[in-house]
Amino acid sequence: MSDFSIIGKPTAMIDAAEKTTGGGKYTDDLSVPGMLIGKILHSPYPHARIKSIDASRAEKLDGVVAVVIGSDAPNPYGILPVGHDEHALALDKVRYVGDNVACVVALSEAVAEKALELINVEYEVLPAYFDPEESMKAQTDLIHDNKPGNLEKDYHHAFGNPDEGFAEADHVAEARFIANEVTHAAMEPHSTLASFELNPHTGKLGRLTVWSSTQVPYYLQHKLSLVLDMPMAQIRVIKPLVGGGFGGKSEVIPLEIIAAVAARKAQAPVKITYTREEVFWAHRGRPRTIIDLKTGIKNDGSITCVKARVVQDGGGYCSYGVVTILYSGALLGALYDIPNIQYDGYRVLTNKPACGAMRGHGTVNVRFAFESQLDELAATIGMDPAEIRQRNLLKPPCITVNGLRVQSYGLPECIEKTVERSGWKQRKGKLPKGRGLGIACSHYVSGAANSIIRSDMPHSTVNIKIDRDGGVVVYTGASEIGQGSDTMTAQVAAEVLGCSLARVRVIAADTDLTPIDIGSYSSRVTFMAGNATLRAAEDVKKRIAAAAAKKMNCATEDLAFRDDLVFKKGSALPVVKKDQIEEAEVTQAGASVSGRVEGQILRGSLQQKRKEEGPKEWMTFEEAVVAAIDFHGALTGTGSYAPPQEARGGKHKGAGVGPSPAYSYSAQVAEVSVDEDTGEVTVHKVWAAHDCGRALNPVSVEGQIIGSVWMGMGQALTEEMVWKDGMLMNPGMLEYRSPSAVESPEVEPIIVESIDPEGPFGAKECSEGSLAATIPAISNAIYDAVGVRLHECPFTPERVLAAVRAKRKDKALNLTEGVDPTAPARFREHGGALCFNGKGPQRHALDPARREAPATARGTD
Amino acid sequence: MSLPQFRLLRPRSTEEAVSFLAKHAGNIRVLAGGTDLIPSMRQKLFEPEYVLDLRGIAELRGIRPKSDGAAEIGASTTLSAIEKSAYLRRHYPVLTEAAATVASPVLRNMGTIGGNICLDTRCLWYNQSLTWRKGCGFCIKKDGDLCHVAPGGTKCWAAFSGDTPPALLCLNAAIEIAGPNGTRRIPLQEFYTGDGVNYRRLLPNELVTSVFLPAESAGYRGVYRKLRVRGSIDYPLAGVAVVMKRSSGQVTDARIAMTAVNPAPLLVRRAGEMLIGKTVDEALAEAVGDLAARTAKPLTTSALTPEYRREMIRVFTKRAVLAAASN
Amino acid sequence: MKKELVELKINGRTHELAIEPSALLLDVLRQDLGLTGSKRGCDESSCGACTVLVDGVAMMSCTLLAATCQEQEITTVEGVTEHGSLAAIQKAYGDWGGAQCGFCTPGFMMTVKSLLAENPDPSEAEVRSALSSNLCRCTGYSQMYEAIRAAIAAERQGAPSPQ
Repeated sequence: MSDFSIIGKPTAMIDAAEKTTGGGKYTDDLSVPGMLIGKILHSPYPHARIKSIDASRAEKLDGVVAVVIGSDAPNPYGILPVGHDEHALALDKVRYVGDNVACVVALSEAVAEKALELINVEYEVLPAYFDPEESMKAQTDLIHDNKPGNLEKDYHHAFGNPDEGFAEADHVAEARFIANEVTHAAMEPHSTLASFELNPHTGKLGRLTVWSSTQVPYYLQHKLSLVLDMPMAQIRVIKPLVGGGFGGKSEVIPLEIIAAVAARKAQAPVKITYTREEVFWAHRGRPRTIIDLKTGIKNDGSITCVKARVVQDGGGYCSYGVVTILYSGALLGALYDIPNIQYDGYRVLTNKPACGAMRGHGTVNVRFAFESQLDELAATIGMDPAEIRQRNLLKPPCITVNGLRVQSYGLPECIEKTVERSGWKQRKGKLPKGRGLGIACSHYVSGAANSIIRSDMPHSTVNIKIDRDGGVVVYTGASEIGQGSDTMTAQVAAEVLGCSLARVRVIAADTDLTPIDIGSYSSRVTFMAGNATLRAAEDVKKRIAAAAAKKMNCATEDLAFRDDLVFKKGSALPVVKKDQIEEAEVTQAGASVSGRVEGQILRGSLQQKRKEEGPKEWMTFEEAVVAAIDFHGALTGTGSYAPPQEARGGKHKGAGVGPSPAYSYSAQVAEVSVDEDTGEVTVHKVWAAHDCGRALNPVSVEGQIIGSVWMGMGQALTEEMVWKDGMLMNPGMLEYRSPSAVESPEVEPIIVESIDPEGPFGAKECSEGSLAATIPAISNAIYDAVGVRLHECPFTPERVLAAVRAKRKDKALNLTEGVDPTAPARFREHGGALCFNGKGPQRHALDPARREAPATARGTD
Repeated sequence: MSLPQFRLLRPRSTEEAVSFLAKHAGNIRVLAGGTDLIPSMRQKLFEPEYVLDLRGIAELRGIRPKSDGAAEIGASTTLSAIEKSAYLRRHYPVLTEAAATVASPVLRNMGTIGGNICLDTRCLWYNQSLTWRKGCGFCIKKDGDLCHVAPGGTKCWAAFSGDTPPALLCLNAAIEIAGPNGTRRIPLQEFYTGDGVNYRRLLPNELVTSVFLPAESAGYRGVYRKLRVRGSIDYPLAGVAVVMKRSSGQVTDARIAMTAVNPAPLLVRRAGEMLIGKTVDEALAEAVGDLAARTAKPLTTSALTPEYRREMIRVFTKRAVLAAASN
Repeated sequence: MKKELVELKINGRTHELAIEPSALLLDVLRQDLGLTGSKRGCDESSCGACTVLVDGVAMMSCTLLAATCQEQEITTVEGVTEHGSLAAIQKAYGDWGGAQCGFCTPGFMMTVKSLLAENPDPSEAEVRSALSSNLCRCTGYSQMYEAIRAAIAAERQGAPSPQ
């Protein structure tokens, strides 16, 4: 008998049937009576001042109910308190192609789309900035007037003594790395349905209910309150099923605000669902990043110093930008023992959709650079790449030079296991030409120790209610987005209460019903909401134990809860009693209700008999619950979690980002082959060991590891947002190439359990940490296979081929438009020449350069 | 993105279809599998008043082997049916191989051979939503007068991106076209113009009804190689089809065609001359690859750089020639 | 455009509906019939989340005009459940982690159903190829293969058996 009866076992998600039958409702599946459809008008210009908006023709179109513009809701908002630079709809300026200008509310999508074409917007086109390093030089036409040099934020950190660190080094490597932009591309396009009730006392619009595809219902409630000038208590946010987030729904997305504003103006429920193209414009993905990295090591492989200058191409708004640029520096620490770190981070505004948080927030691109450079240095000193990583391990418990507290540390075991399973020692360097192995490591936070909105409130609170039916209802604000948070919650509650999973019902992410949880981001839910659930369950269990102990004439400490029984510890459960339980269940299924005792519906004669027997060695869970309700009255429990003070980081400016109560660790080996004539890379297999503290649900943990590795592989090989002068060339699932089943490799997940002292049952995060290692593992494997070091990802076939040819000194071919993938200097723009000068050809009726709208909207076919 | 509104015509026979076409010529689009037309209509690339649905015309479907070894394929035959046809696989393997690479299995259940032949040319500046195209000021293929990939020119370079036409060109396939004055049959090679806008020679009142594979082309070894980033779903970024017949090691006949790198699928001229009478070796295959690469004129109409795509025409041709000549 | 009366046979039931000729099958399913299991994930026939069976053949309902599907048998994910219980493949997807966020899952259910109807014992390569019409952003597909293998085994034994 294992120590646990629920956790640690592969468990189907509690909402799995809703998903496999199609019965589960996502936001776009919902409709309410009288619901209208909203469609958003987007800017055709990357940077322009709005001189006027004339919506009169649109308003007159049959079926149009309202047209909403910026002045309908002028309050600014933004996910970060320091970044309130967005408006529901543009007030005076548009800052990227796709920025939100107006919204039409109509009876149908088709009518709304037609009306969009009738809105006349007069723009004054401004010079636009597309390259962050160019943008930083801007003197005039700033993207935001209060951000000189288009610099959203810069940080300059030095920990230890970087100069001394490099002086001590025997070898120093220095290079520029470039990671191109990727996006979440969750399968569900964002959707929001907003509906006002009429206030019975005032007769006017009253409470607002918003159903939305969000990872952060409470932040949404907060921002809606700011923009709509309504108290939070008047706003209810409900999160239905969410079809994947990966960070793309971890802040307030324009449509969520627009839908509410539109519902207010139209005085009717309004649903907005993004097209896939709009999802790309809403974006908030991983920014294009330039990393100038310098690392020093000694001859024995130990790292003496790391210096990173990071420039992020953040897009037109702040979004999570300040946090992203801080994570990029902070998470240089806490993976290896690095005594000296210098970090200069620049988050730059450009005229493109805003970048934000994406799986592995802030760490991924820098990790790609670091792990690649470490591999180069290992080669320099002739050390095995696995060994150099083992030479630089932390010695926990410890606090890193940049103030991060590390307690549980499964990295050594992760490296050991991947090396062993992949046959690294036997196979590395011995594979046929064109085939190679690469190793890399990564880590991630189990939730941020400091919340976005500074306060002392708990990050998660959970309530539990148990009624006489023995049903356990857990109320949590945590947002299930497919990662299994509801299932985790149910498992933790059931484990603590010793009841079966089927008893537990999870009510989640409804701001009217569930206590505050700051959301599903930064991999915080298992650790924080899990701990809150554990505490809530312990709280309610205490009450049950008190009543049961009284009934059973023993001390509460002598009681154990397990398998739907409450029993005296040590009194091994007699088999006969097990049978009785089963009998009771059979009776339950047979529904022979025979009587009532103490208000509880009894099944069969069993309970009546047992009641008469008096004190017992054991009680059923239901009996104990009834006893507890009779004893205490209502049976509820509550628990909350706030990260401990010791885990909240150092004192320097920006120290708030990076600290976490616990870090997950990952080590991966990738096996690839490279076609040297085409540059095509095939990933055959990835061995991915991940330290998740304790695996509460192994099937989910494995799913998260595989999914992270797979998404990392997408960024490594095929995924890239291609820009040309602010136009996104591939805003769809056809041209943004998320890998299909055919080229997706086998991933062997290896669970490593370091049992964190503060995690719920020792658990840490498992959903993000693995992603960052995959990209460098693949690039290091490409090096092993064909001897080229790629410094720019994704490693598209043209980049790989260009590098291979350069190495072979073959006939020079400009395969990558002059950008050397082994030493990239700048971002590549898609080729061709967009003659964009703010004034396009004049023929089409909808050409934005036209000043007079023509009579007909039809083009010449 | 909703579809523009239109009237739907559902003829039961080719004759009826052609009469509808004649009646509404210029203001009607033909719907076969819909896998290209429907997304394009969403993007408002087409806003016809009428849509002619071919799904109800049974006579347009089916693979009909002829007694002389030739084959006729109805234009509405799905790419899945072609991919799975044992007859075609045996006699015209290059076609089944090409058909099997189109898009994805589910899309092949819908897409038809006629649709793949008539596939609209593609370009990153064209296959975008109306809103997007507004942002770039439109392009010469649709609503604008500027080509973004070859500025200054007046020609549209949108790339023909069907997978099966290069295979069909190698097989010397002909197509039958029905119109108000009956049917005509033309070699497929003559169907394409090489211009990205008016990419095919088909009058507004005409309909491609079937494809003929001549008996003389049966039994050729065939290979199709497709450049794509993903193993599925993607259109070709470059594609090469090779057919070859050999006798005692020597090539007796060979043809090579390419797709996705020009506004039309093209046969590589003089490829046959280069190969016939020779024994294929590495050097010869490479020389043929060089020749093919000179035929390719890729521009920035799709993902991956033009230089790379042209280079892949070279590599893929070489490999396909070697593969066709192996065993 | 004026609506027209059509008759659609969906999951064995015939529905008479007035729809516009330009109405897509996906929209009719979701909006007119409340069968919201089929999802819209893209606008360019690329993601497969809307996959349904038309006369047993997997097709994308976002790319079919509803009016052209008359006289054909349409099966949606809502028609996969057998006699009120989960079909083996539905159970297996839950047990093996084949579904995470679940948005792509209905499409995969249909694709897998058509695969297994055509080829009851597919090789791994055949499974991969068959699944390549549908995109998933969560799972990396791996756990789906296990689920499909388990479902095949369960069908053979006549009872679902996880692990």
